[in-house]
Amino acid sequence: MVAARSSDPIMTARGIVNRFGRQHVHDGVDLDIERGEILGIAGGSGSGKSVLLKTLTGLHKPNRGEVLIDGKPVAKISPAEKASLIGVLFQQGALFSSLSVAQNIMLPMREHTSLSPEDRHTLAAMKLELSGLEADAGLKYPSELSGGMVKRAAFARALALDPRILFLDEPTSDLDPLTASGIDALIAQLNRNLGITVVIVTHDLTTLFTICRRIAVLVDKKITVDTLEGLRRSKQPWIHEFLHGPRAQGAMTARKESHGNG
Amino acid sequence: MPIPTIVVSGEGDHLALEGVLDIRTLESATAALRRQAKQEKLHTLDLGKLLELDTPGALLLRGLVGKGVELTGVRAEHKALLELVGSLKLNPLPKAPAAPRWRQTVIDIGKGADDAWHDMLDIITFVGRAASALGHAFVHPRELRLPSISRQVAETGIDALPIVGLMAVMISVVIGYQGVAQLRPYGGEDFTINLVAVSVLREMGVLITAIMVAGRSGSAFTAEIGVMKAREEVDALNVMGMNPMEMLVVPRLIGLVITLPLLTFYADMMGLLGGGVISLVQLDVSPVQYVDRIRHAVDGSDLFVGLVKAPVFAFFIAIIGCMHGLRVRGSAESVGRETTRAVVKGIFLVIVLDALFSILFEKLGL
Repeated sequence: MVAARSSDPIMTARGIVNRFGRQHVHDGVDLDIERGEILGIAGGSGSGKSVLLKTLTGLHKPNRGEVLIDGKPVAKISPAEKASLIGVLFQQGALFSSLSVAQNIMLPMREHTSLSPEDRHTLAAMKLELSGLEADAGLKYPSELSGGMVKRAAFARALALDPRILFLDEPTSDLDPLTASGIDALIAQLNRNLGITVVIVTHDLTTLFTICRRIAVLVDKKITVDTLEGLRRSKQPWIHEFLHGPRAQGAMTARKESHGNG
Repeated sequence: MPIPTIVVSGEGDHLALEGVLDIRTLESATAALRRQAKQEKLHTLDLGKLLELDTPGALLLRGLVGKGVELTGVRAEHKALLELVGSLKLNPLPKAPAAPRWRQTVIDIGKGADDAWHDMLDIITFVGRAASALGHAFVHPRELRLPSISRQVAETGIDALPIVGLMAVMISVVIGYQGVAQLRPYGGEDFTINLVAVSVLREMGVLITAIMVAGRSGSAFTAEIGVMKAREEVDALNVMGMNPMEMLVVPRLIGLVITLPLLTFYADMMGLLGGGVISLVQLDVSPVQYVDRIRHAVDGSDLFVGLVKAPVFAFFIAIIGCMHGLRVRGSAESVGRETTRAVVKGIFLVIVLDALFSILFEKLGL
C-alpha cells in the first residue's frame, strides 16, 4: 500500500474558512489531493463534510481560502472545462427525473461535445456497462430504479465526460451490504483502470478501510490527513474512537481480507 | 487549458497517434484515421507518443483492433484502460418501443377518458369519506381540533385579506370603466352603479375570492399533505392509530368553509368601495349619493345569492386540495404534479358550480 507520492497534487485547497452566521464550520482547512489516489473524507455528523465537498467542487464559495485544480482557481475554470475535470456523484443520485438513464448520461455529452447521436449512444452504453448496469437499464426512468441502480446510473452520468477527479458523496449510504461492496469494488476498479482520482465523503468504515489510500478526518473545524495506519496511532479522542470502536473492528477484518486477496 | 489536439503521423499502413485521444478529439481522430484507411489498409498503430487516453478513445482503439490493426508501443498507464474497455460486452442501447402517432393519439384519448372517469369516482368517494369524518367529528365534538381549525382560518383567511381586497377593488374598477364607456352613448352611464353593485354582489365577489382561494389555499393543502405523504408522515399517523382524514382533512375543510363566506363578504364590500371610487371620479357621484343609489340598486337577496355559494365552493376546493395531497406517491415530483392538478380542477369546479347555481337561482326566481 506504499505508493510513490507524486509531487504535484491534482487539487489543492488552501486555508479554507467557512462560516454560516457566527458558526464556524471550517477554520483553515488545507488539503492536497494526489493524482490517481482514492481519498476518503470522514467526520462526525455536522462536521462539514458536505460543505467541504461543495467547496472543493466550486459549488460553494468559501469565506476565505482558495481551491486550485491543476494550479488554477476553481472559480476561474469555465463551465465546459470544469465538466470535463470534475464528476460528482450526489448522495441521492440527482438523476434528472424527466430523462431516462441513457438520456441522463448523454446530456453532458450533448452540451459539451460535438459527437454524433450514434456515438453518444455507443458511449452511453459503454458507461452503463462500466458502471455495472445492463444496457436495458438505459431506457428506464430514475423512479423505476432500485437504490443500488440509482447509484450506478449516477456513476455512469458522473463518468460521462471522463472527468479527471470523481467526487462521491456517501456512495454506499442507504444500500444493503452486498450492493455497497459492489460499489466499493466498482470505485476501486475505475480508479485502477481509468486512472481517475477519487474523493469519497463517507461514514462507511468498510469503504474507508478497504479502498481509500489516505483518509482525511474533519474534527474541530480542522482536517487531519494520513494513511489509515497513521490515523490509527492518532491520540485525538474522536479519531481514536472512530477508528477503534466496535464497528471499526469489523472493517479492519474486511481490510485484511481484501488486502490478502488483492 | 489549451485545446487538446491529436495528430496522426506516419505513412502507408504504419501510423502513429500523437497528443491527446479523448472525448474532445475523438471526432478528428476518427476522421483522420478513416481518410488514411481509404488509401491503404492500416496494419499497425503506434501509441508511444499518446499522452492521454480516456474511455471513448479506448473504445475507438478497440474498434481498430477488431479490424485487425495491431497496437504498438502502448504506454503502461494506458494498458489497464485498454484491457478494461477490451473486456466489455458493449451491448447497444435497446430502442425505446414507440407506437405510430395516430395509435398513440387513440391511446391517449382512451387513457384520458379512463382517468376522467376514475377522477370522478375518486371525488365522489372522497366526498363521502370526508362527510363521514365530518359527521363523526360533530358527533364527538371533543375530536374537533379547534387549534388546528383556527390556524387554518388564519392561514387561508386573514393572510389572504390584502390580496383578495385588492383584487375585488380592481375588478369593480374594470367593470365600472367598461360600464361607463358602454352606457354613455345611450345616456345611461348612471346605471353603471347598478351594474357594478349587482355583478359584484351576485357573481364577481364570490368568484374572484373562490378562484384566489383555490389557487392560494387549495394548492397549499395539496402541497402540505402531499409532502407529509411523501415523507411517510401520513403512514406514521395511521400506524399510531390516528385517522389522517380526521387529523388533516377535517380541520382544513371546516376552516375553509368558515373562511370563504367571510372573505367573500369582505370582497363584496371592497368591490362596492371600488365602485364608489369610480362613481366619484367618472360620474361625479358623491359618496353619500352613492350609498343611497346602492340601497335602491340591490337588496338582501343579491348579497344572499353571492354569499350562499361561498361555503359550497369552499367545500369543494378543500376536498380537491386534500384529495390530491393524499394521492401523492413517493417522490417530490409527484407533489408538484398533484398540486397543479388540484389548482386546475379546483378552479374548474368553482366555475362549473357557479354556472349550476345561476341556473338554479333563475328557476327559483332569485
